[in-house]
Amino acid sequence: MSARKLVAALGACALLATGCGGSAPMGAGGAAAGRDEGPVKIGALHPVSGSNAVDGLQMRRGAQLAVDAINAAGGIKSLGGRKVELVTGDTQGKADIGQSEAQRLISAGAVSLVGTYQSAVSTNVAVVAERNRVPFVMDVTASDAIFAHGYRYSFRVQPGSKAIATAAAQYLKAVSDQAGKPVRKVAFLHEQSDFGSGAADAFNAAAKQLGIAIGPNISYDATTVSDLTAQVTQVKASGADVLAVAGYYRDSLLAAKAIASVKPDLNAVWGVSNGAYDQPKFVADAAALGNLYFSANYHYDATNPETVALREKYQKQYGDPMRTGAVLSYDAVQVIAHGVEQAASTDPEKVRDAIAAAQVAPLTVGRGPIQFAPNGDNRNAFPVLMQVRDGRVQQVYPPEKAESRPDYRVAWRP
Amino acid sequence: MTELDTGAPVVPETAPPDRKAKVDQGFLRRAGIVAAILVVAVVVALLQSGSGLVVWQSVVTGILTGGLYGLIAMGLTLIFGVLDIVNFAHGAFLAVAMFLSFGMVQATGLHPYLTLVVAVPVLFLLGAAVHRGLLSGAGGRSLENQLLITLGLSLLLENGLQMFFGAEPKTITLPGDFQFSLLGAVVAGSRLYAFLGAVVLGGLLFWLLRRTRLGTAIRAVAANAPGAALVGINVRRMHTLTFAIGTACAGAAAVLAGPLVTVTPTLGDQFNITAFVVVVLGGMGNVAGALVGGLLIGLVEQLTTIYLGGQSSLLGVFVVFVLVLFLRPQGLFGRRA
Repeated sequence: MSARKLVAALGACALLATGCGGSAPMGAGGAAAGRDEGPVKIGALHPVSGSNAVDGLQMRRGAQLAVDAINAAGGIKSLGGRKVELVTGDTQGKADIGQSEAQRLISAGAVSLVGTYQSAVSTNVAVVAERNRVPFVMDVTASDAIFAHGYRYSFRVQPGSKAIATAAAQYLKAVSDQAGKPVRKVAFLHEQSDFGSGAADAFNAAAKQLGIAIGPNISYDATTVSDLTAQVTQVKASGADVLAVAGYYRDSLLAAKAIASVKPDLNAVWGVSNGAYDQPKFVADAAALGNLYFSANYHYDATNPETVALREKYQKQYGDPMRTGAVLSYDAVQVIAHGVEQAASTDPEKVRDAIAAAQVAPLTVGRGPIQFAPNGDNRNAFPVLMQVRDGRVQQVYPPEKAESRPDYRVAWRP
Repeated sequence: MTELDTGAPVVPETAPPDRKAKVDQGFLRRAGIVAAILVVAVVVALLQSGSGLVVWQSVVTGILTGGLYGLIAMGLTLIFGVLDIVNFAHGAFLAVAMFLSFGMVQATGLHPYLTLVVAVPVLFLLGAAVHRGLLSGAGGRSLENQLLITLGLSLLLENGLQMFFGAEPKTITLPGDFQFSLLGAVVAGSRLYAFLGAVVLGGLLFWLLRRTRLGTAIRAVAANAPGAALVGINVRRMHTLTFAIGTACAGAAAVLAGPLVTVTPTLGDQFNITAFVVVVLGGMGNVAGALVGGLLIGLVEQLTTIYLGGQSSLLGVFVVFVLVLFLRPQGLFGRRA
């Protein structure tokens, strides 16, 4: 009977893991219902515990730095210099917890929300924002699906999954042509959830239009995978000349290890929205393995002196290099504060309209100011191509945002 | 209470010879069926992928990662077999030991494998303390009790690790790691060591349980605790010792697996489910079965990747899990309860 017992236990565990998705009490109208005095509250929702805590904490700090900067510059001037305050919630990376935390922050009087890092969590928070009529400005959220619902209160700063994957394919074509080794066939290795398969689908569609052959398309389970050697062997056997990888940090590092041992006959390794290949940490962890890896993704603008100054400040204050996610949170809070300033009110409805009409200069790479399309997506969001060079991640393409020229080679072949 | 099964066909000393032969036959028949299914699976994979090298690499990788799964499942199955505790904190123990190993390598520049000398005893003591302090009343009691205690403990350990070490992923590098080609398939030295470590650890546990007085006492407690108490065995002490040994196994597994994985506080989640499936497959409480079960799950995972073009490899694992539960709930090599 022990097997039955174990199954019961596993079932119970699964139930616990998916969480007690109880509905949170409906908030009482947020700021509009209460007295309107004291600091203007902005609600920040990030995963500061759990497996994505590093990025979550980075982003919460990024948002805090923006709040500090606004207060240092005299607060919200149209409201007589009222200070801004960040009220924070921990989503733990779980959609249901994000939802109840969003409700809590709105009840606490948050005039707008910023977050959340994971698309699944943002999807739920967007629903809460919509129901409560409170604007929600997403810093990091790759999934494009949220913007298909016609939501009025959802906005996004980062370029979406499709925009990044499409740019990744175009950059690949341009850079490989420039190097005199035009890309022929791309194998795609990706994690199997919405994030990875969405990136692969969008990349493959764009690549096909550019006349690039695709295949094989290999997916894996990021939560359990412990070796990718067989998958990379499959890539080697396929004769592809470029391997595109869309994964999270841990599994993308595993892929790099597998590539270094199998040594497939590639011209380039091409990260697409990759969670590792543009991280300073990857350069240290992978060392020689990761040299010359490319990565097409959103990025802090390394060519903007203001961004450089912000990152220096962060480094000094927290002893850790500031990641792009945190810079996006900084941008998102700037957008909200700008909205409150323009609205000269903390009424979420008025703030929403001001955000929808806002134009704010970003510290992340953009084609222009942050400016939202009718569906809430940032129309000037702009992915950039990076490469691991000389022990550091550098922007290499397009030329106007490049720190150095792309070097279209792989490290394990002369 | 589940009986502890060390993998050999266990027969009472007084059993008539024909019964022994029958048990052996059943064991061999099952092993034969499993081997035949595997051969068919490999041939189908070969037909599907059309590349011998890809299939061969999958088989080699499957065996090597399977050894890792077996290594991690061994302590789990021991604890389940003797104490009847479904230990959800096993993955967290693994993470604790890995951070211990990582911390020592960072601080002293020791060879990672040398940290075994510290990690195994520390985890042994941790296991003993956890059992004495938290679990000694829960063995054999209601399932929810131990489930909540071990789940809570795992949350506590994971968050404690995150507090002390931060959530930043860490890597342990093995100095002088090498790789070689085995008939075209790539084999990393660190993976081979982990595999050999699994075999050695399995052998050690087997020897401990079958050939030592302590092992006999543990098996006696597993088989019939009141009876063991009647002949003067301190049941509570045996339980604590077993839990400590099982946890020490997690310590050994962590040191050997350290260079292969990215070390994070939540690392245990990655292995917990697979380890439980391995435990069921190998026969709950069966140490040698855990190793064989690990190898099978490793192979199933890799072959699923070929069949389904890399849909969740867990899909294949769970298909096997469900089939085993239906056809042979006591596991491939376990005895009927």
